[in-house]
Amino acid sequence: MDFAFTREQQMFKKEIIRFAKKEIVPRVQEHDLKEGFDFESFRKLGDFGILGLHFPEEYGGSGADVVTTVMAGEALGEAGVDGGLTLAYGAHSFLCADTIFRHAGEKQRKKYVPGLASGEYIGCMGLTEPDAGSDVASMKTTAEKKGDTYVLNGSKIFITNGPIADVAVIYAKTDPQQQHGGISAFIVEKGTPGFSAGAPLIKMGVRTSQTSELFLDNCEIPAENLLGEEGQGFNMSLQTVEWDRSALLAPFVGAAKYMLNECADYAKKREQFGRPIGKFQATKHKLANIRIFYEAAKGLVYKIAWCKDQGRPLNHLEAAVAKLFVGDWCIGPANDAMVLFGGYGFCHEYNMERIFRDSRLAPIGGGTSDIQKLIISRLI
Amino acid sequence: MDYDFTEAELAFFADIKERVKGNGSIDALERKDASGDAGQIRRLLGALADTQYLKLGLEPVEGLSGHLALMGAMEVFADISPSAYLSVEASGRLFGRAVSRWADPEQKQRYLEPVLAGKAMGALALSEASMNIENDPLATTGEKQGDSVIVSGAKQYVINAPVADWIAAAGVCGGRHALFVIEKETPGLMIDPWLETMGYQGTPISGVTLDHCEIPADRVIYPEKDVNMPAKVRMWENQILLGASLGLAKTAFDSAKDYAKHHKSGGRPVIAYQEVGFKLAEMLTMLQTSQLLAYKAAWSLESEPAESEGLIMCAKVFCTESCERICSEALKILSATGYIHGSPAERAYRCAKFGQIAGTSTEIARVKIGDAALGYRK
Repeated sequence: MDFAFTREQQMFKKEIIRFAKKEIVPRVQEHDLKEGFDFESFRKLGDFGILGLHFPEEYGGSGADVVTTVMAGEALGEAGVDGGLTLAYGAHSFLCADTIFRHAGEKQRKKYVPGLASGEYIGCMGLTEPDAGSDVASMKTTAEKKGDTYVLNGSKIFITNGPIADVAVIYAKTDPQQQHGGISAFIVEKGTPGFSAGAPLIKMGVRTSQTSELFLDNCEIPAENLLGEEGQGFNMSLQTVEWDRSALLAPFVGAAKYMLNECADYAKKREQFGRPIGKFQATKHKLANIRIFYEAAKGLVYKIAWCKDQGRPLNHLEAAVAKLFVGDWCIGPANDAMVLFGGYGFCHEYNMERIFRDSRLAPIGGGTSDIQKLIISRLI
Repeated sequence: MDYDFTEAELAFFADIKERVKGNGSIDALERKDASGDAGQIRRLLGALADTQYLKLGLEPVEGLSGHLALMGAMEVFADISPSAYLSVEASGRLFGRAVSRWADPEQKQRYLEPVLAGKAMGALALSEASMNIENDPLATTGEKQGDSVIVSGAKQYVINAPVADWIAAAGVCGGRHALFVIEKETPGLMIDPWLETMGYQGTPISGVTLDHCEIPADRVIYPEKDVNMPAKVRMWENQILLGASLGLAKTAFDSAKDYAKHHKSGGRPVIAYQEVGFKLAEMLTMLQTSQLLAYKAAWSLESEPAESEGLIMCAKVFCTESCERICSEALKILSATGYIHGSPAERAYRCAKFGQIAGTSTEIARVKIGDAALGYRK
């Protein structure tokens, strides 16, 4: 075993933190308050190379390995970037762009991946439906082949980047009689007749990400927009799980480090009863809880990333453990951080209440904690 | 980066498992030894001396990754017999490590070689009734008198004290920290009866009184002046307790899992019910997270020493507290089966609390982690 990051990885992480603190973090509060997507920051992520980090250079990426890519997510969280922007980045780069990169033909790859890597296009992924959440096989959206086209009908819900996406990966049943084997994946472009997004949903947290329903009403797309072959969609969605359990969890891990640093600074300055509150044991305990979560979660997340770099098939048990741990346990430190700041922690001016709200998504998005428990209990 | 143990390490773990299991009744190891001489633990020490187990952490061992391999082996050992584990560790990894680290060559030859050969048992006596968390006012003292040193003081909860050949008592001599190595029959050494404890019932533990014990001056070990000896020994204890917490948690989890898969209720295994299956999922999540954190903390001792103290503290808190939760949940799943004295999960549950109390208590560890975050200490 060797838990060390390379020197290059460590330097890269510092660079991202420096960049994010300067270019993105100062804009976070404003956008969170007005629940607005920060297009400028998103483009800056693209300019810095983060959006396409793991793609080969010929597709506009940097050819980074998975560990380095996950590290970028952690660094954004550690810098203080909000969960909304990191979620938008995750949905864009891993759930949408990576699926196209892996499964599209060369023509489609060239058409979409460079634009997604640079941030010229914004991507989203449509899987969840009003009556098909974790039970993917019960999805009702259909794709019927008609000559050189597919006609899609149905609706999707809770789609991150839905209202702003230029490109969507949509899962639909090409064979409604089948369960998982009847699901296929398609590229659907913004502006395609019959394809529309609902109004952004008002959410408790991750408010700078735009989330909505997607509607497919006799939406006709070229047959070449089918990703892979018919019936392979479910397996494609499973492949995104590796990213979901590493890169999409990494910002929550980084946020813990951010909270630790902010709380320590505050506790040294804030005085009560004639001394800094950092001198009280109860304050130290809160800081310790945050640090312990950070150290524990890191190991799980990077292990998933490292295994992916080794080309190993996803260990679903370990992936579910990582998701369950980060999802359920990140809320405690976020709560501790908010309480440590006292009344200020409850106010928007200090970021702790936002991080607390953002953390509430962790046990819900990408497969709830209960679903992770179900997976684990079946696999053991 | 690499998250796998090597083949050699996995083979080493399997060897340790075989030797501990092959050393007679585990139940007997887990009970207070009626003869009072810990004969079975001594035989086990002999069996382990044929491996590299006792040397790990004390000296480099070819083919094994030092503290990291040790942590993996500790987990295997503690899973089988926590009481024997604690006793063996106190001898080798507390007494032996102190001698290895601070003794002169002659002292090493006298004490370390027999301990590593599994021919002698040591104990390291640190804790005192008056010890404070933030400083180290050791009340045990040694007064030089010619070629002798007169040692006085009282120690509590000394692992192996009732059976050890040598007790290294931590104290102060000539204004600096010292370890006084006291042989079993030394006049003035009074060893209290083997304590009745909630867990680790097969581990010999007792208090020790040193009433003007006269020992030759060459039996005093002096750590380097810049070393905070009590803090260092606490860190070694923390490592031992980390290994124990992994083993105990695994014992409890495996017991509960096996039971849940085979015990039927309403015509199906109880694991099929979400209230059981989900509980197991939470337990496994804590266990796997604990393993990774403990391995990383152990790895850091050699690879990132500047980070190791903080990581060990974090791991100590998380792993020992998770261990107790895992054991507690296991007992719920096992129902009456687990509540019977001698069941592995019941034994693990009783032992689990010790991990939070001994070494750096989890409360104090949190204070130290917080202090580090605040920049109040390194």
